[in-house]
Amino acid sequence: MNVIECEGLVKKYGSLNALDHISFSIKENTITGLIGRNGAGKTTLLKILAGFWRETEGTITVFDRRPFNNLEVSMNSIFVDDMMSFTNTLNLKELLSEAQAFYPNWDAELAERLLGYFNFNPRLVHQSLSKGKRSTFNMIVGLAAKCPLTIFDEPTTGMDRAVRKDFYRALLKDYLLNPRTIIISSHHLDEMEDILEDILLIDEGKKVLQLPVDELKEYAVTLSGRTAVVMQTLQDKEVIYKRNVDIDNCSVVVRNNFLHGEVKQLGINVSPVTPSDLCVYLTKGQGGGIDDVFNKSKSV
Amino acid sequence: MVLNMDSTIPIYVQIAEWLENEILNENLKVNEKVYSQYKLADMFTINPATAAKGLNLLFEEKILYNKRGLGKFVSTEAMDIVLEKRKNHKLKGLLKEAVQEAVRLQVAEEELLGMFKQILNESKGE
Repeated sequence: MNVIECEGLVKKYGSLNALDHISFSIKENTITGLIGRNGAGKTTLLKILAGFWRETEGTITVFDRRPFNNLEVSMNSIFVDDMMSFTNTLNLKELLSEAQAFYPNWDAELAERLLGYFNFNPRLVHQSLSKGKRSTFNMIVGLAAKCPLTIFDEPTTGMDRAVRKDFYRALLKDYLLNPRTIIISSHHLDEMEDILEDILLIDEGKKVLQLPVDELKEYAVTLSGRTAVVMQTLQDKEVIYKRNVDIDNCSVVVRNNFLHGEVKQLGINVSPVTPSDLCVYLTKGQGGGIDDVFNKSKSV
Repeated sequence: MVLNMDSTIPIYVQIAEWLENEILNENLKVNEKVYSQYKLADMFTINPATAAKGLNLLFEEKILYNKRGLGKFVSTEAMDIVLEKRKNHKLKGLLKEAVQEAVRLQVAEEELLGMFKQILNESKGE
């Protein structure tokens, strides 16, 4: 069953299409990573899914309902980011016990255990927390709410590496106990790819691809070697990204849909492309790389 | 018992290989129940769908069999299949790579065989 169905979704800000006819669906009880460059439209998409913002065109359903202003969708979903605002008249412990009233599946015991594990002083107010601590607290709310649709928008902002690792592990363990639909947007794909089932990659408001992570890992390979030899083999291949290592050598990222044996025999090195790097290559504009900025003598 | 997350080998294949090693070491015996996808997910901090894919790989190769509602179990022929598979695929592949490197380095056949025997003797001595 699909929890989310999205067809030709458009969100306009003035003349800009933040979301540009995007269509996809998300299966129930899966963990999906939403990946994209800064400004790709991730937050816009997630806020529309959560019912915070209204779409401009197209259809979107969450639990078979249009999410905007929908009580049912609100009750069954939670949107976690680093901008979540909590009142300062309640301390952290009180905030957690109040949250119980809003979320029918609220797990008070888990919330309290996590608060203790991450060494929070329960009498502090949310605003006095550091950036990383604030993200950690928001994550606790997101996990304990146990909403059938749980959305994390850049949940790890400001968290140190140890806390991030704990977060991914906590998320997975809790998901194993209470399967639900989870969407996480993050720039740390390499850190969290193993706990994901699917990846949805977007760029400039459009869907680039949606694939199981395992397939994404085998989606492309890097061919590196003598430029003359590598170029020869490219005719029947789909080139994703090209880089000259020096005058004679280059490395080219291509779709992995051919037999490696014959390429290897030519002395070309075939190596895997991490999902994280692949996402960068797939969303790179046509303007070349950062090197071109420094390459003043470029004569094209 | 840690997976190599940076390896060329997909995680689900690594899971399958890890289970194969458990069978080779006889940590998992014939007709014994293997870990569920959820248990594997918890053990390795991976998505249960990835773990399921690893289990399915072994099921398709008849190393595991299904008992409805109970999970996956080690088949009677598991050990033979794993040994056969490791020999024909993995070992041959490794040898092929070594030979290709030898050809690139223009190492003569006799020299290569000599190196091979030396390594064989060394590892016997251990």
